[in-house]
Order: sequence, then C-alpha cells, then structure tokens
Amino acid sequence: MRPLGENLRYQAEALAAPLPPLLVEARRIAATVSAGMHGRRRTGPGETFWQFRRFQSGDPAAAIDWRRSARSDKLYVRETEWAAAQSVWLWCDRSPSMDFRSRPGLPTKEARAALLQLAVAALLVRGGERVALLDGKPLPPGGGRLALERLAARLEAPDEGSGLPPAVDLPRHGRVVLAGDFLEPLDALAERLGALARRGLRGHLLQVLDPAEETLPYTGRVRFVGPEGEGEVLAGRAEDLREGYRIALARHRDGLAELARIKGWSFATHRTDHGPETALLALYQALEA
Amino acid sequence: MFELGPLAFSAPWALAALGLLPLLWLLLRLTPPAPRRHPFPPLRLLLGLKSAEESAMRPPWWLVLLRVLLVVLLVLAASGPVIQAGQTLRGTGPVVLVIDDGWAAAGDWNQRKAAARGLLAEADRTNRSVALITTARRSGAPPPLRLMRASEAQERLATLTPKPWGTDRLAALAPLAELPEGPPGHALWLADGLDADGEEGTVWAALRKVGVTSLLRGEEKTAPLILHPPRTEGEDLRVTARRLPTTTPRAATLRAFAVDGALLAETSLDFAAGEGAATATLSLPAELRGRLARLEVADAGSAAPVVIVDERWRRRPVGVVSAETEGGGTLLSGTHYVTRALEALTEVRQGTVEDLLARELAMLVLVDPGPLGEAGRKRLREWMEAGGVVLRFAGPRLARTTGNGGDDLLPVRLRFGGRQMGGALSWRRPAEVAPFAADGPLHGLTVPRDLRVRRQVLAEPSPGLEETAWARLADGTPLVTAEKRGRGRLILVHTAADPAWSNLPLTGLFPALLSRVLDMARGVEAGAAKVPLAAIETLDGFGNPVAPPPGTRALPAPLPEELGPGPEQPPGLYGSGAVRRAFNLAPPASRLVALDDPPPAIENRGLDRPPETDLTPWLVAGALALAMLDLLAGLGLRGLLTRGSVLGMMLGLAVPAQAGDEGRFLEATRDTVLAYRLTGDAETDRISRAGLFGLGTVVNRRTAARMGKPMGIDPETDELSFHPLIYWPLVEGAQPLSDKGAARVRAYLHKGGMILFDRRGGSGGGDGLGELAESLGIPPLVRLPGDHVLTRAYYLLDHFPGRWRGGSLWIEPAGERVNDGVPPVIAGDNDWAGAWAVDEGLVPLFPVVPDGERQREIAYRFGINLVMMALTGNYKADQVHMPAILERLGR
Repeated sequence: MRPLGENLRYQAEALAAPLPPLLVEARRIAATVSAGMHGRRRTGPGETFWQFRRFQSGDPAAAIDWRRSARSDKLYVRETEWAAAQSVWLWCDRSPSMDFRSRPGLPTKEARAALLQLAVAALLVRGGERVALLDGKPLPPGGGRLALERLAARLEAPDEGSGLPPAVDLPRHGRVVLAGDFLEPLDALAERLGALARRGLRGHLLQVLDPAEETLPYTGRVRFVGPEGEGEVLAGRAEDLREGYRIALARHRDGLAELARIKGWSFATHRTDHGPETALLALYQALEA
Repeated sequence: MFELGPLAFSAPWALAALGLLPLLWLLLRLTPPAPRRHPFPPLRLLLGLKSAEESAMRPPWWLVLLRVLLVVLLVLAASGPVIQAGQTLRGTGPVVLVIDDGWAAAGDWNQRKAAARGLLAEADRTNRSVALITTARRSGAPPPLRLMRASEAQERLATLTPKPWGTDRLAALAPLAELPEGPPGHALWLADGLDADGEEGTVWAALRKVGVTSLLRGEEKTAPLILHPPRTEGEDLRVTARRLPTTTPRAATLRAFAVDGALLAETSLDFAAGEGAATATLSLPAELRGRLARLEVADAGSAAPVVIVDERWRRRPVGVVSAETEGGGTLLSGTHYVTRALEALTEVRQGTVEDLLARELAMLVLVDPGPLGEAGRKRLREWMEAGGVVLRFAGPRLARTTGNGGDDLLPVRLRFGGRQMGGALSWRRPAEVAPFAADGPLHGLTVPRDLRVRRQVLAEPSPGLEETAWARLADGTPLVTAEKRGRGRLILVHTAADPAWSNLPLTGLFPALLSRVLDMARGVEAGAAKVPLAAIETLDGFGNPVAPPPGTRALPAPLPEELGPGPEQPPGLYGSGAVRRAFNLAPPASRLVALDDPPPAIENRGLDRPPETDLTPWLVAGALALAMLDLLAGLGLRGLLTRGSVLGMMLGLAVPAQAGDEGRFLEATRDTVLAYRLTGDAETDRISRAGLFGLGTVVNRRTAARMGKPMGIDPETDELSFHPLIYWPLVEGAQPLSDKGAARVRAYLHKGGMILFDRRGGSGGGDGLGELAESLGIPPLVRLPGDHVLTRAYYLLDHFPGRWRGGSLWIEPAGERVNDGVPPVIAGDNDWAGAWAVDEGLVPLFPVVPDGERQREIAYRFGINLVMMALTGNYKADQVHMPAILERLGR
C-alpha cells in the first residue's frame, strides 16, 4: 500500500480545528469520566509524582527513591498520582479495495478514511484522551502531540491490511472507531465485531464508499475486476446491472446497520465526493453520545 | 508476371488471398470488441447479478471496414505491384546484357547504367537468369559465360565503371558460344554508338543465337567525343576533336590546364552540322605553354576528350653550358644575361653538355665554356646532325684557343686573339653594328643606336663568309655567323655574352636575338626512352586523374607504334625522374564510325526507359497507417484513450519538433565540433561541410581528439563560442557582416576563438577580406614564421597545401592579443576544404593538384595541426627550448 501523503496529519488537524475538544464520556467507567487525563488525587498508577512515604516492608525495592532516601536515614518510596484516561482505538481499512477512486478528481477511499481517523484522533488528543491505531500490533494508547504524530506516521506508512479489523486482545472498556468500506461478507464482519463487543468495547462504524460504488454509473460491455482477487464479472450491458446492484448494496448496508444496532454501536456512511466535515461531525457526535 | 494495364504484379498468386475477404468480414463482425476493464471493489455484490440480455456487442461497421481495408492493402503489397509502361524483355530463356564500357560509353554512363538496372529489375521480377558481358578490351581471355540470378547481376552492375580504352566486342562475345541450348532468350546490346572495326555484323550474328535481339543506344547529344593530341604550329597549338558526323551542330569548350590545375586558356570547339571533326587553335604565350599539362573538353565526363601534354608539346628547355660551375648570377657573368633573357621564353637548364643532351632540348647555348672534351664535342656534333641548334658566344677562353684549328664547333675559322676596338691604347672607337640584311634570318630586329662592340673574335676571310654572316659590324666584319650542320645549326656570336666585350647583353636586341634563334630551334627528342616507363598517374574512364590501378604495367621501351591504351597501360602520364611521357587515348588519326542502324529484325531504341514505380512500399506504409488508426480506435472503444494518454502521445510527437536552439546547443557541445561559416552559396557550404567532415574523420582516426559532426553557423545569429575553430570560406558577393555580427565575431576571437579564412584559390579579387578584416578589427597579418607552432603542433610541416599549392599562409602576429601567442586568425588561399572534402563513403570529392594524394595527405596534416593548435594552444611551442634543455641535460 502506498503512502497516503506527507501532509495527511496537517490536513487532519486543520479539519479538526473548528470542533470543540472532544472529551469522551466514559460512562462505563464512571470514576474516570470526569477526570479525563486529570489526576485522581490519590496514589495509584500514573505518570506524575504524588508523594513520598516511608518504606514499608513488602514494598518492592525498585520502588525506593534512592535520591530522596539518601538525604535522611530513612528509606522513602516514591508514589505517583493515579491518572486514568479514556482510550480510543482507531482502525482504518487498508485493504486493496480501499485504494480505489472512480475518477481522477476524487480522493481514494483509503485516503479519506485515514484523514477522518486522524482528524478524530486530533480532536481526542486535544481533549486529553489517549489514542492508538488498531492494527496487527497495536501500541499502547498515548496522548499528546507525540501520539498524534506517531499515529500519522503509521497511517502514512505503506501497509497491507485486510478488510476486517484485526482480532487482537484489547483492554476492556475502551472505544473503537472503525472506518472502511465494510464490503466483506456480513458473517465475517459480525464475528469480528462481536469479538470486540464482547470485551465491552463500544464502537463506531463509518462506511466510506466511492460514488461509483453507490450508483454503478458504467454502461456498455464492461469487465469488472475485484481488486482483492475476488474474480471478474463480465457484464454485456453494465446498465442492466444497475438496479440489481442498488438493491444488493442497500441490503448489505441494512445488514451493517443492524449489526451495529444490536451491539449498541453507531453506524454512519460517507461518500468520498462529499466533504469530510459532515462525516467528522457525525463521528464526533457519536463519540460524545 | 501478371498484368493489368500499366499495373503488373510480381507475385500474382498472393492476390488469391483477396478471395478470403468475405470470410474475414464475417469473422470480424462476429467477434465482439474487447470489453473495457474496470476495477470494482464491491464485486461481491455483483456476483449474483445477471445481465438481462447477454447478447454479444457487434463492433461498429466502420471498424470492420477499416480492418478489411488493411488486409486488402497487405495482400496487394504482398503481390508486388509495379506500375510500368511496358515490358521490355521477351522470350523465356536467359537474358544477355552486352554493355559497352569502353571510353565512348562514359559520356552517358549514368543513363546506360540506369537502363541496365531497369532491365535487371525486370529480369528479377520475371525470375530470369542473366548473363552480363562487358566489351571493353581486357587482358587475357574473357571470362567464361556465367548465367546468374538477376540480383547478383545487379550487384555486379553497380561495380561497373567505364574503362579509358576501347572495346573488343568480338573477343567479349566469344563466350556466347557456350550458351546452353534452351528456350530462346533475349539479348540486349547497350551500345556506345561506335562501330570500332566494322564488327557490327558479327556482333549481331553472335547475339541472334540467344534469341530476340535489341539494340539500345544513347542520344546524339551525349555521343562520344575524342580529342587528338595537339599539333604544334609555330607559336600555336592546333587541337582537333572528333565526333560522329551527325546532322546537328555541337559546340564544346576546350580548356587548357596547367600542372597545378590552373586554367590557362579556354576556347570554343564548334562542330558544324554533318562534320565529324572540329579544330581549335590555342595561342599560348611561351611562359604559359611551358606550364601546359592537360587539354580537355569541358563537361565531357569521359577520358576520351582529355589529352595529357608532356614535354613534346611544350617549348623545350634551353641548355646553357658555361665555364662557371655555379649558375653565376653576378652582372659580370654571361650566363646571367643569357638566363635572364631566356627565362621569359622557356625553361633554362644548366649543366654539362652530356647532362643537358640526355634530355629533350630545344637549343644549347655555349657561353664561352672553354674546352669541351672529345666526348662532349662528339655528342654535340651528333646532336646538331639530328637537328639541334647550338648558339655559341665568344669570350676570353675562345679567343685564347682559336687559331690553331682544333676547334671544329665553329661556323667559320677564327683568327687567334681577336680584335679590340676602343680603349686607352687604341685609336679606334668601339664599332657600331650594321642593320641586318633584309634577306637574313635576323631581319626585322632593330639595332639600337647605342650598341657598341668593343671586342670581338675575327673570322678568317674565306669565300663562304658572305653567306654565313647573319650580322655584321659597321665595318663589315661578321658579328653573327651560322652554319648548317646536318638538320641542325651552329651559330656563333663573335662577341661575349657579358658586358665586358660589348654592351649587347644590356640592349633589347639581346633577348630578341635569342628568341629569334630559339624559334629556329625545333629541338631533338631525347631519343626513345631506353628503360620502360612506369605509370605516374593514369586517367579513369571519366577522365579524372587517379593513382595507377593495380595491374598497370610500364610502357615498354621502345614504344611500339601501334600500342594503344589498354588494361595494362591505361592512358596517363608515364615516366620516372625527369622523363615524362604522356600516353594518350586517341591515336594521331582515327575516324569515328557510327554504328549502322541494325537489321529490321532487331529492335532499335534509346537508353531511356520509362521508370517503373514499385507500389509495395506505399501499400505497406498505408497499411501501417491504417493499423495505427485501428489501434487508436480499439483503444478508444475500450476506454483507454483518455485525455491524459492523448496528451501524452501528442507530447511525445511534439518533443522532437520543439528541440530548436537547445538541440543545437546540445549538438554543439556533446562533442568538439568544428564549424564553418554559412556563405549562402549552397555549393560552397556543401564543400565546407564535406571538408570539415573529412578533416574530423581523419582527426578522429589519428589523434585522441574526438570531433563531432561539423556545423554550419551564421555569425549573425548563432552562438560561436562552442567551436574551437571556424572555417570561413571567402566567396565573392558574400553578404557583409552587420555591425552586430562583426561584434560577435570580434568577441569570439577575443575570447580565444580561431578562424581560418580561406580564399579558395584566390581567383576572385574582390573577395572582401580587406573589409572583413577591418570590420573584425584584425591587425595586419604577417607571413607565417618558419618556426611557428603551427608547423609542429602534431606533424612537422613546412608547407601547407590545400587543393592548390603555393599560396602562403598569413597569421595574426603573435602577442597582439591575449591568447598565449596562438593566432586567432589564419588566412590563406589554398582551398583546404576542397582538399579535405569527402563524401559519406570517405571518398575524396575533388582532385588535388599538382601532387595528388600526397598533397592531400599534407593538407590533412595541416588540418590536424590546426585542430591541435586550436585545442591545445601553444604548448608545443615549448619545443623551441628543447635543444637548450637537451644540451643542459647532456652536461
């Protein structure tokens, strides 16, 4: 898969700029909702210093702050403030079918999906949330500009993904944003999404499609070739297929929407010939909900 | 061969393929066009769908028509169609081409060859075997008859050239007897129009054996012309040319050339209607006649109207024998006066009697040489018997030895001592000379009034004295006496050739007297050469001087009367050392006999043959164009012909067209490129280009420098700075440089450029070098110093010939500009480009005179030196210090 362009991150940030910082409501984990990235004013796992306390037996030796201990006769242990943030995993379909545009003026579906995901990530980072790219080997979620940059770099790097989100073990109670064309068979999609849902993750599906994929504008004798080796379809008169195709696509979409609804996930569609802002707003609202 | 009116097909069976066209039409209609391919990600959704009607798309009718047309063109091309005006070859057996390639065929050789080519092409198409017979005389037996394929005969035909000697048709046709029995063929005789020895009937008899017989003859206006060696008539040369006595008058121009190629004289040769001969008279001043080397009829393109002139037709040299070992040169030496007086008339040689008489000589002048020795006297006597003229001057040595009767080289007996008139101890005044007798041989010369003779040798009075005296003093004593000796003469001038005895050598009478005597001297041939004479330079069939071809033999000695030029001895100049003998094509008297009209059974026609046009290339080109159209249409139908691809194609086509100036810059800088100035005269530019091409080739071959193809430049518009050297031919009437152009050239010269100005023979006076030099700011040029770096930049040279020789080379003086002493301007008039010029096959375009290929080689060496100097500057100039450095090293 080819790189998506050097300036993908800037495009995404520019797109995200007009929207208010996205603070994800973490309803399932109430304690962390209000806090976001802020400390919980008590000792716990975290990054920032909280207090020194006297060493007690049972504390691991590695927890001793040797510098502080050297100033007196006692041993001190360094404790950090417990910080917790909502973690959002972003998945972008990088399969060959996403590398498609029906006419030169349009972005490919992949470029559009990556742009939207990065914009969402930018919004989340501004709101203090932690984001990570959900791919074959997801890194732990991170915050701040560095996480954003890392995300952009990984999105821009060539990658050959599949049309389904990877089956990896994610921490519970996170969120996933899945953007792709979701043209895989519904059964395969249902199984993979179900695996995520069973871990308590809440998800958002965004189907990105090219206008030609919605309207099938071709006429005459056409040989359609699937980009992922699905085979070929020779149409004597392509216009004759149009009505049947429209129905088939609608049925597929309904199935997707139903799939999302059952799991309590949101589902939205997006066409590459429309502006990305609408889709971003829809995602934003879904994440806020 | 299958013919449809003027259209003929060499492979008519290929036309049968046209019958398959309806089938092709059907097939094309049935085959649907290839579908367009579209990638389509949601293919799975399509998999279950079925197109309502799966009927095959038909290709559009015009596409089918296009493809059928394409196939028609290809089929036609395969059938080898030729538009022809008619068929020449008859019969079915072998084709025998008899081509006259003697001297008479050279004039219309190209038509002859074209006609033969046409015949062979026809034979090739009809698949007939061919025998090619050339009739020029050959040494040894003619090759056996060989029937070959027409294509092979075409190759052989391409190598044929006319020979500068006659034909021997009977010998050439002898092998025809071996022609195998078979179906009747066709014999064609491409005749030169001459019936050499009344052999026409025999030729027809030989040709009839083949089958049908045709005679192809050239037109009258290209009929052969032959020039006879000139006859000397007094001052003039009478030149006779012959042709076939046709009814049309013909005007030709006779030109006389010098050894160095300069045109000496031009006169017209007019054949009246019905006349077979024309005579022209060439009056050449003695000094021009001495240089005469070649007579030719202009634009004849044949060896026949070329006569090489050797010493026999020139004024012969005069030998001067004197007591002085060296040539003298002081005003006190009699030799000096004799030499000066004779120089204007003819060549003067000095030496001993034996040396001088070994070669052809018109007259021998004895300037009081003292005793000659018995061998010399004997030789001299024999020479006079044979017709030699000896002019003897008196002098102190003669005066001392006379009177004892031992000297028999005197027309009269002399008294001892001589006679002195005037002087301190004499009462007598120097004697005047009496006017010359009206019936004497010196009549017509005027005696200057101030001519005085102070001293003379006196003749003994004798009965015959009256008759022998040509001139007398006022008192009646003989001053010039003469005596016939055999066919020659012995003349004695009774006073000395130097001013000590009289002021005769200082008067105008002296050269007049010598000239008068010289006119009487018809000279004696040096006798037949005693050794065979090797060829120095021979003529090819077109009359161009060439190096002797391999197999040339020496002229035997003595030369048999009946020997004419042939394969062993082509016409040309033979000899060695001082002996030169011209061996000319035309025997002194020969009539040209025209070929009679053939018997009626024989076809009689001209060489011209309506050209045939082979349509195959055009048909193939048309089919290719249609194939391109089909490709475009196919791409269009499949949706691959997008705007981008069309734009790309057009760009691809347009790129070479807009190369323009940048292409020129690239061209000029990719290699080292010599340039020449475009004069506007196409011929001059062609020669310049060919010259620099030839020079570049030689430079590439011999040196490490790499020269690209030369470029023509116009200093007004083109960038000059890419070129290390510009060759600038000066032509009359060339467009003068504008101020802007002159400024560009000045800048070029100032920044280290180099220009070679060539006056190309310098014939025209107003070639504008002066104005040009002024506008370019060139300082006065100086003659090239002998130790200049140009003489040793690569080769060691001491002269710089081009096509001509002798002009000197001028350079801008060193140090005048900031250029390391390398002259930016070199000028001369030897036409170097003419010497360097070669065609694509590296064959020289122009002859180089007088030294031929040796001189061309020197010209190339000069060119290489020039290029080396332009490329490396003066670094070779350091060699002037080489002796000093070596000396120091040795120490």
